[in-house]
Amino acid sequence: MTAAIDVRSLGIRYNLRLTRKNTVRETFKNLARRRNGPAHFWALRDVSFRIDHGESLAVIGPNGAGKSTLLQVLAGILEPTEGQIEVIGRISSLLTLGAGFDPDLSGRDNIRLAGAFMGMEHADMLRRLPGIIDFADIGQFIDAPIKTYSTGMNARLGFSIATAVEPDVLLLDEVLGTGDATFRSKSQQRVEELMRSARAIVLVTHDMTWPVEFCNRAILLEKGQIVAAGNPAEVVRVHEDRSGQRRAGQQPDPLPPLYDAGLPAISSRIPGAVRLR
Amino acid sequence: MSAATEAVRPAYRPARPGPVKTIRQTIADVVSRRRLILYLVRADLKKHGADTVLGNVWWVLDPLLTMLVYVVLVAVILRSTREAYPLFIFCAILPWKWFSSAVGAATICVVSRERIIKQVAFPKIVLPLSACVGGIVSFIFGLIPLFAMLVLLFPNHLTPWVLLIPVVAAVQFLLTLGIGILLSGLTVFYRDVGLLMTHALRLWFYVSPALYGTDQIQSLTTKNPELGRLFNLNPFTGLFESYRNLIYYGQAPTWDLLGVVVVESLVILVVGVLVFRRIEPAFAKVL
Repeated sequence: MTAAIDVRSLGIRYNLRLTRKNTVRETFKNLARRRNGPAHFWALRDVSFRIDHGESLAVIGPNGAGKSTLLQVLAGILEPTEGQIEVIGRISSLLTLGAGFDPDLSGRDNIRLAGAFMGMEHADMLRRLPGIIDFADIGQFIDAPIKTYSTGMNARLGFSIATAVEPDVLLLDEVLGTGDATFRSKSQQRVEELMRSARAIVLVTHDMTWPVEFCNRAILLEKGQIVAAGNPAEVVRVHEDRSGQRRAGQQPDPLPPLYDAGLPAISSRIPGAVRLR
Repeated sequence: MSAATEAVRPAYRPARPGPVKTIRQTIADVVSRRRLILYLVRADLKKHGADTVLGNVWWVLDPLLTMLVYVVLVAVILRSTREAYPLFIFCAILPWKWFSSAVGAATICVVSRERIIKQVAFPKIVLPLSACVGGIVSFIFGLIPLFAMLVLLFPNHLTPWVLLIPVVAAVQFLLTLGIGILLSGLTVFYRDVGLLMTHALRLWFYVSPALYGTDQIQSLTTKNPELGRLFNLNPFTGLFESYRNLIYYGQAPTWDLLGVVVVESLVILVVGVLVFRRIEPAFAKVL
């Protein structure tokens, strides 16, 4: 079996001194107090796992553990600072619904634009356009500028676009609770369909029923490192135990990071320096 | 363990392609995403005219009004004696409008697409590229009042040389693209770039032969040949002179100066693309 996603010794480092707020003046100020505090923050480090075609992986963990960062790397939005990652096939990411819309353009124009951003073929996009409009089901508004949309309409259109492609690799980030009850059940159905047809899935969620129900593997991330991996039910149990301790005001014992998360084929390869894509 | 080592461990460092490969990759990216560039340009144009009463008429009106301001200033108040002065400065104002608005749009294009950059992976270079391409349309619209002026007011200036305008415009596009790409990347890290640019552009306009001809500063440059050489290194000297030769004087463009502009533009473009590609991976983190 060929791997759909192969992640080896992945590390993502953020430079804490380099933010958009910087002006030239602040840069000089930062240079002056260079010694104070850490300059970098590893959002992920030493993360290795492998997913074969037909598998689905749940990523769970407390807030700020690096779950969303991991999805961003898999989607190709962030480049690894360390290690290497290989994703084979067309990726669809439902990271933030409708966040990238251009408020001055109509819904229809935004669908075309989003398709082009995702790198879809023009003919392919035209073929899918009626289906997307139909699924979003926002009536006349499809030809009105996005800025006139309600939050719900925005999310519906976003969801409709992101799920319109038939991806080989599906990345899902907490997208299952959008819109009113009717749309929610409709979208849930759509996600289940996609999960059945996609060749590999990575699901980030706080809803602990999903990993057990839909995934055959799970990893628990804490502070940017994999601390538990394996059978979803077991990993969920570990996570829930630890969350329970946190809620009770205790600090759970730090778990040693798993370098080789018990998954095959990671330790067999030399951690490479080449990014294959 | 990781707390101890803040630095990237060399054995795990991903390889980075060399400059030639980067350029080749960029060209391939742009070609494969031409549809996206088209959509971005079209979206820009759609928005451009949507909020104003006169809409796209502004593309024609805007350069005309700018010209009128300078005509009042120079021809009426400073009493220039140059023949057909409105046409003389329009040859410079029109390309300058294109340049300054395209560079302005390119500067903010990456920053204003912040949210899509964090959501979808795509070659970010299409953003400044489409901002620069969008400027071409307003330039073409600006040619309408230019030709109206040539035909109705100054028919003695109209020669077949105007057919070479696209050649000079192509050179200008190269220059605009290089500067636009460079600035769009730098603005992500420093907001100062946008503010500084407004003033830098204004200064650049006045040190270029836009409102005056090279003949008017001849006394200055013959006394000080260093200054003259510097003046000729300014890409807009070659560009304005070439436009003016084609439109106002009805003669060949200044090929030698134009050649200098081509070389300069290519250098800026290559540097711009390399810098942009080098800092591109950080966009999603920094924005």
